[in-house]
Amino acid sequence: MNSQKSLLPCELDRRGLPLVLAALAWAALFLGSVWLLKNVQLPTSARLGLALLPAIPFAVFLVAFINHLRRLDEMQRRIHLEALAIAFPLAVLLLMTLGSLERAGLITVEGRFFRDLWGFLPVLYAIGLAIACRRYR
Amino acid sequence: MTNRLPVLRAERRWSQAELAERLGVSRQTVNAVETERYEPSLSLAFKIAHLFGQRIEDIFEADGAKKN
Repeated sequence: MNSQKSLLPCELDRRGLPLVLAALAWAALFLGSVWLLKNVQLPTSARLGLALLPAIPFAVFLVAFINHLRRLDEMQRRIHLEALAIAFPLAVLLLMTLGSLERAGLITVEGRFFRDLWGFLPVLYAIGLAIACRRYR
Repeated sequence: MTNRLPVLRAERRWSQAELAERLGVSRQTVNAVETERYEPSLSLAFKIAHLFGQRIEDIFEADGAKKN
């Protein structure tokens, strides 16, 4: 039996390259716009443009992601489904726990924290993906 | 569910990658089916059976199932 093993939780092939490039472009633009909005005085129109600019590469990323999913075989799609099935309750757990701790007065959560909380969601998805991939490795 | 995929593949001296290419799936999927971590859909099972020129029940066997 062939026992090739990938070091990655899931094998990435060249077809996944557009996905990675779109994600990197989005991340670079998002971080750049956050930095500019925080550190540079700009007119409202420019601030509006900067705030919305990362949505464009994200839309490209979304299209690339959907195309990527459509090219996957049945087991790889199942892995993504399981990743979502793991990530969603993890997100509920995170938000519920933070809310409960804040309600109990044990932590003080600033509004800006909730503003950036979405950043944890891809991390939870990645955790779900790693767990699901390990199962079928 | 158990299967004879590793045996059938070995008889033809195909690598997992080669079999994956013939089936139009990833090598990871072939590996998972062979190691019985993943049960293929009926569609993929038919494809496998057709590729090896056998019936599905000659390749796959449900746990606890007895062959006649």
